[in-house]
Amino acid sequence: MADSKKPFVDRGHYTEVPIPSGEGVLTVGYGERCEKVFIMDSPEKTVPPISAIIAKEDSSVDICIVVLPGVDASVPVDVFMCGKGAKVSLSGIYLCNGKEKVSFRTQVHHLCGECVSDQKFNGIASGSSSASFFGRIVVAPDAQKTEAYQSNRNILLSEDARINTRPQLEIYADDVKCSHGATTGKLDENEQFYMRSRGIPEKEAMVLQMISFISPVIEHIADPELKEKISSSVEKAIREMV
Amino acid sequence: MDTEQENQIIKEFTSKEYKEGFVTDLEQEYVPKGLSEDIIRMISQRKEEPQWLLDFRLDAFRRWQKMPAPHWGHLDLPEIDFQDIIYYAAPKKDADRPKEIDPKLEETFEKLGIPLREREALAGVVAVDAVFDSVSVATTFRKTLAEKGIIFCSFSEAVKEHGDLVRKYLASVVPVGDNYYAALNSAVFSDGSFCYIPKGVKCPMELSSYFRINASGTGQFERTLIVADEGSTLSYMEGCTAPMRDENQLHAAVVEIIVEKDADVKYSTVQNWYPGDENGKGGILNLVTKRGICRGSGSHLSWTQVETGSAITWKYPSTILKGDNSSSEFYSVAVTNNYQQADTGTKMIHIGRNTRSRIVSKGISAGHSQNSYRGLVQILPGAEHARNFSQCDSLLIGSLCGAHTFPDIRSANPSAIVEHEATTSKISEDQLFYCNQRGLGPEDAVGLIVNGYAREVLSKLPMEFAVEAQKLLQVSLEGSVG
Repeated sequence: MADSKKPFVDRGHYTEVPIPSGEGVLTVGYGERCEKVFIMDSPEKTVPPISAIIAKEDSSVDICIVVLPGVDASVPVDVFMCGKGAKVSLSGIYLCNGKEKVSFRTQVHHLCGECVSDQKFNGIASGSSSASFFGRIVVAPDAQKTEAYQSNRNILLSEDARINTRPQLEIYADDVKCSHGATTGKLDENEQFYMRSRGIPEKEAMVLQMISFISPVIEHIADPELKEKISSSVEKAIREMV
Repeated sequence: MDTEQENQIIKEFTSKEYKEGFVTDLEQEYVPKGLSEDIIRMISQRKEEPQWLLDFRLDAFRRWQKMPAPHWGHLDLPEIDFQDIIYYAAPKKDADRPKEIDPKLEETFEKLGIPLREREALAGVVAVDAVFDSVSVATTFRKTLAEKGIIFCSFSEAVKEHGDLVRKYLASVVPVGDNYYAALNSAVFSDGSFCYIPKGVKCPMELSSYFRINASGTGQFERTLIVADEGSTLSYMEGCTAPMRDENQLHAAVVEIIVEKDADVKYSTVQNWYPGDENGKGGILNLVTKRGICRGSGSHLSWTQVETGSAITWKYPSTILKGDNSSSEFYSVAVTNNYQQADTGTKMIHIGRNTRSRIVSKGISAGHSQNSYRGLVQILPGAEHARNFSQCDSLLIGSLCGAHTFPDIRSANPSAIVEHEATTSKISEDQLFYCNQRGLGPEDAVGLIVNGYAREVLSKLPMEFAVEAQKLLQVSLEGSVG
């Protein structure tokens, strides 16, 4: 082969993504705090009202998305960390027990250094549902001192349910702390045995396990009223699933 | 110090970067440049192949022509002109002494630390199949191995002497049309190693292939086929180097491994192709398909790779876990420096019940390089109680490089458990400070820390390789600090 036609130029593979504007964009300004919970509980609500979050300097954003059974939800969320000291927490719960197709697609762009992002998504799939999670963290060149975390945990309850998860890290700066974790699994048999040997019926034991699996996401909702409301609707949904 | 002396020292230091970069000057025969059915016929004829293999090649070529080149990798791949490559280059054999190895060739391999004469090295006995450009020049310890019924020879010889075996297993793991580069390899592959371990035999020594690209303007397309029959055990090693050139040379290999019931295969690679110079000019494009199948129950396949060379690495050693209770591991250290790019990882396909897999990947990027891990863990509906654990760590040295992780987990069985975790960070200041404080220079300190970081993988390598790999890590990172 002859000399390669073009010399390698250091584009570093990093491609800039334009910052969106218009409908569905939530901009959180300098030093502002924003906390929102979206519950998707009816078949008509398949897309959450926001599709992008822009976090400015020293802002703090906390978004939680809850998908209850019976909703074919498709949740695309893009986060842009645009100012130093911004903190974004993105979390989600998805429960599916029928033929739902639920997909989450999050992309967190760290355009600026010294920001922290944290993502936590837990889901349970039963029936013949399929749940997919795609989560990408991109740390731009020079976005030093970034901290970005992501975790996606799934439980499969039935033979016909499917879970696909694709967490991705794209890091172009070196002074960063980034991690992601993903698991798919089943309800722990030892836990079940423990509870059943203490007289808790099988179904109740499963409900307790599932609630405890979901609870880390609910726990971090700050507003006590909202927290109560979500945990009761999640519990109701879980009881229906078993 | 006078200038001459100074220059000498500088020269010595810089040449240390890639000591395998020399060219062996010897007479070689080539087929004409380019790729067409005629060229494939010519290669096949030159190797005196049977008709079925020629048909196999032509079928692969026709499929390859219809396939688009893949672009999904996180790579900046230069356009490859497939008509501008010589697909077959072989050192000329002396007509008077056709059986003997050219002393120049022997010298070359000696220089690379690969003895072609059978003798016991200090570290132990290793049987080598040495491949120079398109042909295998020597396979050592064949007799000793044959006593145990083990077949270890070059691929061309295997086709002639064990045609049935080759025909039975060839393309059974990597089908002809599997992917673009595998199809290309199936059409033009020149030589490689063939290994068959019969039932219940424990291979008494490490087997190894050593690949050397020498001729300019050529590509290397080797094919390795390993069959481990019921209850056998094998440890296989692969090494490779190439001269330093300004052009990109293509290396598109296919490795197929068949592991039968209760057999155990360990495949280790230390990949040290020429990585290009510090400005990213030249280097080998390493586009390789490696796949094994754990066919029988209780079979086991372990991949260990240390990737330090190549301008571009595109490689995913994979395992299909078909047999019940079979297991597989993938241990990888990938180091990129300067303008190197690596997109490497694995695929674990769980089909059988109680199948287990483990992935440990350590990426280290320095300079302007890009280093990606890409992996798939797929649990099929029948894979009851399948288990996977993946751990992918990336280490960044310098602010201009990139480290990326792209795992894909697909689970279709409620009794399976899959876990994946990945972290990205740089060498901690504390660790560096600790080393500096005790009198280690920054470069030594980084070397020490990186070796510690990669220890989990390096410890899985056979002893002969482990020492070499550690040295390589150090050399690959030279000049990346400070």
